[in-house]
Amino acid sequence: MTFASIFVPNFLLQAAVRTEPALRERGLALIDGNPPLSTVVAIDETAAQLGIEIGMTKTDAEQFAGVEVRPRVPMQEKIAHAALLDIGWSISPRLEDTAQDAIVLDLSGLSSLFGAEQAIGARLAERLKACGLRGNVAIATNIETARIAARGFAGITVISPGEESPSLSELPVSALSPSVETAGVFSRWGVTTCADLAHLPILDLSERLGQQGVYLHELARGAFARSLVIAEPAHSFQEELELDDAVEELEPLSFLLGRLLDQLCARLTARSLGAAAIRVHCNLQPSFENTVEVFQTHQRPGEYDTEMQLPVPVCDSKLLLKLLRLRLQLNPPDAPIQKITLTADAARPRVTEGSLFSPSFPDPEKLELTIARLVHVVGEGNVGSPSLTDTYRPGDFEMRDFRIPREASPTKRGRDRARRTAEERGNCTIPASFRVFRPAVPATLHFGAGSPVRAAFQGLRGEVRAASGPWRTSGDWWQEDSWQQDEWDLEIHFQEAGERSNPGIYRFYYDSLGRGWFVRGVYD
Amino acid sequence: MYIELHARSAFSFLEGASVPEELVGLCAERGMPALALLDRDGVYGAPRFYGAAKKHSVRAHVGAEVTSTAGWRYVLLVQSRAGYQNLCRLITQTKLRAKKGEGQVRPEEMAERGGGLICLTGGQEGPLAYALAKGGIEQGVQAVEELCRIFGRENVYVELQRHFCREEEAHNQAAVRIARTLKLPLLATNGVSFARPQQREVLDVFTCIRHHQTLLTAGRLLCSNSERYFKTHEEMSQLFLDLPEAIANTEILSSRLHFTLNDLGYQFPIYPVPDGESQMHFLRQRTLEGRIRRYGPENERAREQVDRELALIEKLHLAGYFLIVWDIVRFCREKNILVQGRGSAANSAVCYSLGITAVDPVGMDLLFERFLSEERGEWPDIDLDLPSGDQRERAIQYVYQRYGKLGAAMTANVITYRGRSAAREIGKALSLDPETLDRLAALVGSWEYKDPNDTLERQFHDAGLDIQHRKIRNFLELCHAVQDLPRHLGQHSGGMVVCQGQLDSVVPLEPATMPGRVVVQWDKEDCADMGIVKIDLLGLGMMAVLEESLHLIRERYADEIDLGHLPQDDPAVYTALEKADTVGMFQVESRAQMSCLPRLQPKCFYDIVVQVAIIRPGPIVGNMVHPYLKRRQGREQPEYLHPSLEPVLKRTLGVPLFQEQLLRMAMIAAGFTGGEAEELRRAMGFKRSQTRMREIEVKLRRGMTAKGIIGETQEHIVQSITSFALYGFPESHAASFALIAYASAWLKCHYLAAFTAAMLNQQPMGFYRPATLVKDAQRHGLRLKPIDVTRSDWKCTLEKISAGFAVRVGMCYIKGLRQEIALEIVRQRKIDRFESIEDLKQRVPDIQKVELTALAEVGALNFLSNRQGFHRRDALWQVERAARRPGPLLETPEASLRTDRAEERNGTPNQSPAIEQSPLLRMTDEERLVADFRGTGMTVGPHPMAYRRTEMKKLGIRTAIELKKLPDGAYVQVAGAVIARQRPGTAKGFVFLSLEDETGIANAILTPQLFERDHATIVHNQFLLIEGALQNQENVISVKAQRVKPLTISRAEPPSHDFH
Repeated sequence: MTFASIFVPNFLLQAAVRTEPALRERGLALIDGNPPLSTVVAIDETAAQLGIEIGMTKTDAEQFAGVEVRPRVPMQEKIAHAALLDIGWSISPRLEDTAQDAIVLDLSGLSSLFGAEQAIGARLAERLKACGLRGNVAIATNIETARIAARGFAGITVISPGEESPSLSELPVSALSPSVETAGVFSRWGVTTCADLAHLPILDLSERLGQQGVYLHELARGAFARSLVIAEPAHSFQEELELDDAVEELEPLSFLLGRLLDQLCARLTARSLGAAAIRVHCNLQPSFENTVEVFQTHQRPGEYDTEMQLPVPVCDSKLLLKLLRLRLQLNPPDAPIQKITLTADAARPRVTEGSLFSPSFPDPEKLELTIARLVHVVGEGNVGSPSLTDTYRPGDFEMRDFRIPREASPTKRGRDRARRTAEERGNCTIPASFRVFRPAVPATLHFGAGSPVRAAFQGLRGEVRAASGPWRTSGDWWQEDSWQQDEWDLEIHFQEAGERSNPGIYRFYYDSLGRGWFVRGVYD
Repeated sequence: MYIELHARSAFSFLEGASVPEELVGLCAERGMPALALLDRDGVYGAPRFYGAAKKHSVRAHVGAEVTSTAGWRYVLLVQSRAGYQNLCRLITQTKLRAKKGEGQVRPEEMAERGGGLICLTGGQEGPLAYALAKGGIEQGVQAVEELCRIFGRENVYVELQRHFCREEEAHNQAAVRIARTLKLPLLATNGVSFARPQQREVLDVFTCIRHHQTLLTAGRLLCSNSERYFKTHEEMSQLFLDLPEAIANTEILSSRLHFTLNDLGYQFPIYPVPDGESQMHFLRQRTLEGRIRRYGPENERAREQVDRELALIEKLHLAGYFLIVWDIVRFCREKNILVQGRGSAANSAVCYSLGITAVDPVGMDLLFERFLSEERGEWPDIDLDLPSGDQRERAIQYVYQRYGKLGAAMTANVITYRGRSAAREIGKALSLDPETLDRLAALVGSWEYKDPNDTLERQFHDAGLDIQHRKIRNFLELCHAVQDLPRHLGQHSGGMVVCQGQLDSVVPLEPATMPGRVVVQWDKEDCADMGIVKIDLLGLGMMAVLEESLHLIRERYADEIDLGHLPQDDPAVYTALEKADTVGMFQVESRAQMSCLPRLQPKCFYDIVVQVAIIRPGPIVGNMVHPYLKRRQGREQPEYLHPSLEPVLKRTLGVPLFQEQLLRMAMIAAGFTGGEAEELRRAMGFKRSQTRMREIEVKLRRGMTAKGIIGETQEHIVQSITSFALYGFPESHAASFALIAYASAWLKCHYLAAFTAAMLNQQPMGFYRPATLVKDAQRHGLRLKPIDVTRSDWKCTLEKISAGFAVRVGMCYIKGLRQEIALEIVRQRKIDRFESIEDLKQRVPDIQKVELTALAEVGALNFLSNRQGFHRRDALWQVERAARRPGPLLETPEASLRTDRAEERNGTPNQSPAIEQSPLLRMTDEERLVADFRGTGMTVGPHPMAYRRTEMKKLGIRTAIELKKLPDGAYVQVAGAVIARQRPGTAKGFVFLSLEDETGIANAILTPQLFERDHATIVHNQFLLIEGALQNQENVISVKAQRVKPLTISRAEPPSHDFH
């Protein structure tokens, strides 16, 4: 048996550079983490020479001239890994997906096809290069030796049978990836290389480090044999389309999306799955606006992402397309699209049957579509179930996702009983219901002796017969949208005749920050 | 006139956002005649409130909000002394039965102790609001009737607060109805929680901290608006236009509150004396015995001084106080606890005669009035230094036992928001992520000196933070706003108060975190302000060192040393001091002291007193050090700030160095009375008196002008006095410290082994890390032996060797080794020696693998084998197996045999089983160094620099000792391990580095520019190479650095003491 292992050193950086070879010419540092505390996670040689270190903050790294500081893009890494797998599969169908930056191939029987080990190594290196990656290739008669040698030695290494131990002898024991605890023991023992470890008596080592000791000892001697864990061909339900000419309009985009969704749904159907969520990732044509970094935003410049959670797994490409179209119409990318990646989170489709006696609810798929249409009309964040928030900010509420209620709401009798109990206890209850004007209506209020006397709004004028207030609230002083308001409840008799000529009780407020009077609503 | 009768201060701990002084200041500013402070469950802020109110002629009404078992709070105002006593006892009772910071009063306790108190129905947290919410008007009436039953109908007021809230107004309507029904008076208050509206932000943050929330999640726990500020009469009258009687009643109620804090009813305990004797007579007898013992019967000056002091003590009725302190000292002596009085008590011949202090005030001509004067009207201050740790605790427990649990208590230490604590908590409230928080916290107070260019913006930028960001801006503003606001109550390290009878009727008592201790609600300054006597039982690391040294000397050398009778002019001590060879010596070991010692050249004890006092921020800031040194060396003639001050300043060559001198200067030059001088002294004493200092300065100038001292002379005198404001050292205090300094120096010179062992056992203390102490002792010829499980105890011990004693390093130095394991090792070793590592593991079964590994790594197991050449790696090899022993079923017969043998030891000599040789290589020198520093923080082997000396020599790098022989101005290179980095606030940005090599310590001075340029190199490297011109002035040697380079000497990390 012969195995080849490919290892891509500094994988994060290589994944980033792969699509932009020009970056190789200058220093590059990749950062990760939430702004403003992003830290450097990968650097190239130039950056290292200039003094940048892994773990530095973005601000520190940016002080080095001649180094480009960029955020890490996990998608690039995923694609680079997929490319690595592709390279493996292009040589051998028997492949192990060992790590993000490493794979192992079974080369048995391939010599007649590709030549000797050295030739296979060279071919692998060549394909790596063609895919924009630089890596080490090691070939040996056992998997682990190949894997360790690929990590430890640059270029192409071919280890002949029987030469495993001497070949690995100079490598540091850290190349064997021991556990932290065992690495500590080795460090205390002064065991630094594979040769040091290989020289230790195995029985004694077993007494001290147990099976892990034996395992590492065999690894160090290149004597550990195991079978390959064959990787299944890709199961990620992802479709990607890179365009020669960027798409600007929705119609052609819908056509492309439709194509991708058809493929995606076909794959899902073949495996009896549905999509529980669809993610769209678009690479946009660079523009000046997009290069400005936004503080703590989810959108990276030059990219567009949107995600659609579905109430039940869906496998209908037409329905998905409608939903996606609505989503994109509502929140379109702000630059032409260069590349589209669609990813589906797969889930088992719904198999339950509705009860004969349970109330009839709308079909979840149709409901989702209706909600999406409503969102399109009224805007994101404006559809759902309103819910009060824990704040003194008048009228504040939040929208939660609409879900069909499982329990019936309290009956009128129940509500009446609750109100009577509260009244008996002398609690402060507002007997009338209150109709809120959204948005609030601008108003004018005239004061006399510290109390409002006349009010006007929406062309109506009236005299204040009774006033209660001011009721003062303020808060969120630590945020941009702090508020400070004085509310008055006013009973107003309108001067004009008509529908509104009856006296009404209104709630007015003065916005101290916006400096203006408004009507918040009316008591019914 | 409206009077605010319900105000909380920051002493409600996280429920108020202003200090009492600020509230009083506003009250006075608005011409309001009185104010009541009602903090939560205590009278913590009362003394400061009372003090400020007295100053502004505002009546300070005391009270508290006391939490009931139902969760609401009684709102209580003190009407009379009986009421105050009831309140204190009530709080004490609830606090002492609960956990720290908790406690709730039961209804029956309130009924029992309701006398002399006025109860308000409270705001949102009061009983009425609670009852209304629970059961409407009916329950509201019942709740108020219950209050009437407890406090009496005439002592209950229905409280109304208006903060523009709908719900509150609904309660108010109900409250008015109840008041009308029950015919009770209405009372308007504003339930003040902060002085100014903008402080609402601080209160919101405090609320988050209290509820472990952030501003984003706290919701309606926060304030609904900013109306709980201190409102004016006009604002309140406007609010209560419809209920004018509620405003009028505030004045009526205020006039009913007669109690003030000057009516505490505190009495100092009476010392029990034999029948028929008075306390004074008993004190005279004890003093006489002591005087004869100390001075001999013939010393007339001493007799006169003692008589004069006793007469004053009698006049001021202070005999009991002296006897109580004497009693504590006597207890310590009986129990062999080293004790020495310090502070102004050292000015008293009576204290000296009673054995309380060790400084002879007659011989040193110390100012008795500094200690006790008729004018001062407060208790004298006696501080006792005790060995830190258990011994001091014994003394404290003795006081508790002597005066009862309610007769003695520790003074509190009010922990305030400062620097990092403020930064962390505010950051959390603002939802800053942990990483940003770490960075922000690290920015706070990193180095003492702040470069003028070192702006906040720059610091933030350097740390990768954007100061313009709203969160960061809020953070900074809030950090600034909370500075010095009380955070919680701690316990003062040693201040105790005692009382005749019940201390809990004077001030509420609380349990301390430490079991068996109670704490009063006031800090020591507050206690002093309130005229409560306190005794400071302070723990001093060096006292513990002295005590342990004496013990070791007695035990191992069989010498009995009496610190009170050490030879006064020991040449070895003065030689060491002159050479600044003072590592480990009390108060004279710092770098600054070392650079002064060769110039001052101490020749007698008084020189040490001066030396202790001169290197203080006071004399340094006041530019008094150099003139004194020049005059002492005869390079300058003594000059006096004014001829009239010559008698005061003669002893210190015209340079004022001690606090007493400044007081006398004020008395002579500005005509201060004793009382005024005392005021000056107190203003010098603590930080919160900056304003007071300024006021005194005005008075000083006025006095001097009246005496014709004007112009530059006046300026100099004022500068001398004010520069001492915060850091002045009293002469008596310096003398007490000098005694300890002398004792430590004498012990180091004559019993180095015992002294070093004691120093190592009392860490952390002093200026240097153990690694430096060890190297210094080795350079003085002491042999230090490595940790060895077959010989080492938990602490460092002495071992007899041919040339005296060596110090065996104790197992306490092994990082990660538990004390109980070390003690078990020692116990087992005494039963029978260990045969092997496995034997040790079997006999000390609780030892963990990490502990065994730690022992092996530093070589402590090397001696378990008889085999020659058994080394650390052999031990580590064995440890790994011993720690992984199989269960008994799978044990090899050989191992079981060993176990059996170990169990059946019969006293016959054991034969060690053949110890398996490990296949591992012996550690290299470098590896041993790394292991030593990592495992113990030091090495008893060669200094890391010693291994590289040849190489260093080739590079032209000098050793520390060589520098002494080089001329001033020579360009040198020195290298070593950085053992101290300092950037003192008084040094204008200069940085002082101490580099240690195998020959000693070299000092380097870095300019602010160099520090700025090579900041990272200087701060982050363990070993440095410094180049520059040598300064050798009057045997004070340092290198004026021009270049600093990192050195790769070893991966070992010698610890450095960085003073921030």
